[in-house]
Amino acid sequence: MIVSFDWLKDFTQIDESREELAEILSSIGLEAEIKPFPDILAGVIIGIVENTIKHPDADKLKVCTINDGVKTHQVICGAPNIKAGQKIPFATVGSVLPGNFKIKKANIRGIDSFGMVCSERELNITDEHEGIMVLPDGLKIGENFMTSYGYKFSSIEIDITPNRPDAFSHYGVARDLATYKNNPLKPLKIQNAKGKNLEEITISIENQEDCPRYIAGVVNNIKVGPSPAWMVERLKASGLRSINNVVDISNYVLLEIGHPTHIFDSKKIKNKEILVRRAKKNEKLQTLDGNNYELTIENLVIANSNDPIALAGVIGGMKSSVTLDTKSVLIESAYFDPITIRKSSKVLSLSTDASKRFERGSDPNVCDKAFHRIVQLLQELAGGELVSRMIDIYPNPIKKQKIKLRKSEIFYVLGLDIAMENVENILAGLEIDFEKKVDSWICKPPTFRPDITREIDLIEEVARIFGYNNIPIDNSINGNYNFLESDSENKYDFIRNYCAGLGFHQIYSNSLQNQTDSHRSDLIPVKMLNPLSRDMAFLRTHLIIGLITSAIFNIKNGTNNFRLFELGNTHQQLKAGLEGVLESKHFAGIIFGKNSIDSIHGEGSLEDIYSLKGILSFIFEIKFNTKLEYKEESFNCFDGSYAIFINRQKVGYMGKISDSMTSDIKINKSSLYGFEINLEPIKDMLNRNNKFKEINLYPEINRDLNLVLSSNQDAGDIVKLISKVGKKLIKKITPSNLFNNSETLGLNLKSLTFSIVFQHPSKTLEDKDVNPIIDEIIRVAEKDFLAKLRV
Amino acid sequence: MQEQLESVRKSFLTDLESFPDNSTGLQDLKTKYLGRKGQVASLFTHLGKVDNADRPKFGQLLNLLKNELQSLYDKKELSISAKDASSNRPYIDITLPGRSPSNGSIHILEQTLLEIKEIFKSIGFNIAYGPEVDDDYHNFTALNVPEHHPSRDMQDTFFIDPQTVLRSHTSNVQIHLMETSDPPLRFIVPGRVYRNEAIGYKSYCLFHQVEGIYINQNVTFSQLKGCIEYFVKKMFGPKKKMRFRPSFFPFTEPSAEVDMWDDEKNQWMEILGCGMVDPAVISNVGYDPEKWKGFAFGMGVERIAMLKHKINDIRLFYNGDVRFSEQFS
Repeated sequence: MIVSFDWLKDFTQIDESREELAEILSSIGLEAEIKPFPDILAGVIIGIVENTIKHPDADKLKVCTINDGVKTHQVICGAPNIKAGQKIPFATVGSVLPGNFKIKKANIRGIDSFGMVCSERELNITDEHEGIMVLPDGLKIGENFMTSYGYKFSSIEIDITPNRPDAFSHYGVARDLATYKNNPLKPLKIQNAKGKNLEEITISIENQEDCPRYIAGVVNNIKVGPSPAWMVERLKASGLRSINNVVDISNYVLLEIGHPTHIFDSKKIKNKEILVRRAKKNEKLQTLDGNNYELTIENLVIANSNDPIALAGVIGGMKSSVTLDTKSVLIESAYFDPITIRKSSKVLSLSTDASKRFERGSDPNVCDKAFHRIVQLLQELAGGELVSRMIDIYPNPIKKQKIKLRKSEIFYVLGLDIAMENVENILAGLEIDFEKKVDSWICKPPTFRPDITREIDLIEEVARIFGYNNIPIDNSINGNYNFLESDSENKYDFIRNYCAGLGFHQIYSNSLQNQTDSHRSDLIPVKMLNPLSRDMAFLRTHLIIGLITSAIFNIKNGTNNFRLFELGNTHQQLKAGLEGVLESKHFAGIIFGKNSIDSIHGEGSLEDIYSLKGILSFIFEIKFNTKLEYKEESFNCFDGSYAIFINRQKVGYMGKISDSMTSDIKINKSSLYGFEINLEPIKDMLNRNNKFKEINLYPEINRDLNLVLSSNQDAGDIVKLISKVGKKLIKKITPSNLFNNSETLGLNLKSLTFSIVFQHPSKTLEDKDVNPIIDEIIRVAEKDFLAKLRV
Repeated sequence: MQEQLESVRKSFLTDLESFPDNSTGLQDLKTKYLGRKGQVASLFTHLGKVDNADRPKFGQLLNLLKNELQSLYDKKELSISAKDASSNRPYIDITLPGRSPSNGSIHILEQTLLEIKEIFKSIGFNIAYGPEVDDDYHNFTALNVPEHHPSRDMQDTFFIDPQTVLRSHTSNVQIHLMETSDPPLRFIVPGRVYRNEAIGYKSYCLFHQVEGIYINQNVTFSQLKGCIEYFVKKMFGPKKKMRFRPSFFPFTEPSAEVDMWDDEKNQWMEILGCGMVDPAVISNVGYDPEKWKGFAFGMGVERIAMLKHKINDIRLFYNGDVRFSEQFS
């Protein structure tokens, strides 16, 4: 809500600057932001247009003579609305407008121009820039524009929290301010209008819960026309555009005391019969803003002879609206149920100044005041006369509730020992009635504060006005030790640290995916009812898609060597409902390009499946003394992939990222590899502490065994064989050399060297211990794998 | 004898000065003077022929000579071996670039989260986690966010079905915690949360939150202020100017927003929300609000990281741009 600085001063004394005031308002819970607005625009003065003639060389420009009270200035102006005799804001040469816009002498199509006639936008008053700002008559020519007139548009924007309907008006803001400063709040001067009983109004309310109170009255002999300058200025300062005097009055009262009212053209209401009821299904209404709505049972309407004429508490209808021909009006000042109005506004996605106030809860007991204020202003500004009685349907008046406020509880909650007198000043300032007891108060909050229903709500008011920054700081949060696990995610730290050390950058990618990406595996993704867009309608089941997306992003941006990883949650829908949602922690990575950078010292080698195997082995095998196993198995997203097994459980897959996934990048993608592992099945392993094993100090014996094997014989089978034959004497077996040459070896054969390290746990090994093992290995290899010893 | 000693000494010095400039020559020098059949050794054999009375004196002189020559020789050997090593070493151009390992990085949000966790751990907070998909009750109702209340607009939420949501904050975990454990408790809850907000430089459809809760007897707003001030000073430095501003959250009362002064922008920047746990929340989980009080706070890891590192676009956190990551490696 935009609050006019000048308007606030009607209700309480303000000595502060705008900046100081904004700081105070923020400190009492009305978060204020000041729009950039210069206090004095030096050189911008009140001028008068003496005459205008058409620019000889431009159709739309005029050559104007502006008098500043001392001398005249020749100014070229393009505004269509400039006329001789107007008082205008005139920026003289040398002045600086908001946005650091310096006014200089200019030459426009051959004619010199000295200064500028300003629009409201150029002065930062409103967004209006169709024409120049025309000023009221009474201003003195030559005076500074800001100090003599512009100050009226000085305003502060306040962000009103959902619990504070009372602060949605100038009077409400002034009340908080007056309480904070312990200054008096000036009463609203509203005279109760005495109506004649010339017109009958019939009001029926279908359900009292939707509309606990409805006031109406008819004012005749209205003259619809422009509003006076003071009203236009105030509305403008508060961000509203003037429409006509009748509409403006309703808006003015809304901004002044915060209660939304509606003014109908009474001639358009048949027999002056008003029915407040729920809309019927498929009922239609054209609203004031020109939109057509199809209504539902959630909408509360004001109806007349079967047709809705307004959307209650939200917006009026077009048909019954006030026009320039209106002579008689029906004023509505009602209290509608907050939840009803909220649902009504939500179902149509239509939020208005009125609905915002009703859904937060307006004051049922201010309806009559608002009504009288409207009548009063109509009489003053539109010449009307109240020709009906004020009809007030309020069968069950809403009363103030009693709440006990204990001084001790203030201390328990805030840690603040506040003087009784301070509390009482705050309560009184906020118009909370109270009865003093020994150590407490029996409070009755006003009905414009529906948020205050409990003791804690009163304590909040005390804290808010007393000032959070005045509450002492206590650094002694005393408490108990407890022995719960301090961070269950600590077990993943090593993965992040290892990866960063191995040259991987950690990424965080969007968990929300489109239909195609979220359905790339057999898992069923969790689907959203109300997605942001079709691109983000599902929760990811895998991380690899996000990594591929990032890889493409990086390649497109010229990064051609990278390793990325992500550690994050994935979801799948095992069966319907919340119980069917399974959340799992995954670890995935992608590698591309060269694993070390080409340099003067040598070329790096391209990433391949062995890079991945080495990385995974480094992360899991050594630390957890386990063996990863791989089995060829196809997966979506991959061209050639392997299932990964840890402790005999399938935990994920790795492979070459399919070219079909990256078809929109054109460079060679043969080194793009990825993996993904579900950490859930190995959580216990990750938590395990390694136990120290005695370091074996007996000497090692190294032997190389060179076997000629069939070209498609996997080295792993031979390693298994060696390990089986060698039992516990073998410490390590590494396939260390591969030689392919059909000329030397014969067709479809290869030679593989296995480097074997022998070590005994409790004695020094000798050749005589090792030789029989080697012989046995060769024997079995020849028998089972048709191997030949290469000599 | 005296003369013989002096002559051996002079001859050694001359030889040392002139000929050995490599290790082979050096070895010869050693054999000639200090070897088993060298000149010093032969002087010792002469010692037997000296008068008994003079023998101790010459013996002493001879030992001194031996030590002197040995030490001169050692020095020479050291300097020659150093020279040898340097002449055998290949040419090194130290101005060439080194072999640079590829650097990786831990995501700046992860780093920021680790820092936040450290700070709260240091004042006795435990760390808890909970589900990203939860029921409406734990995400809203139990937290005193009534249905059809404007406060639900503050957090536009993704729904899976009418009763199930992608959590809009990690406060759902507070409820789970309080339902399953007895007070007192002191936890922070980090995690990913979702908001139905259009993606732009200031907002994303998800972000990471750290919420904290402390329930005990005698918990006050003063203590909340102390705790938050401790966090802000640890995170942003002891000189940071900050303020507590009344605000509204359905689950806390009184509620506050904490701002930090930004010297560059010359304005207050919001960093977190906090407040005293609303008595309705305390009773919703079955605690007695007359006995147990608490404070709670919540912050966005993204926001903290953006303020701390002057990051101006939230989307940079999620596109995996290596050029961004490298700046925080």
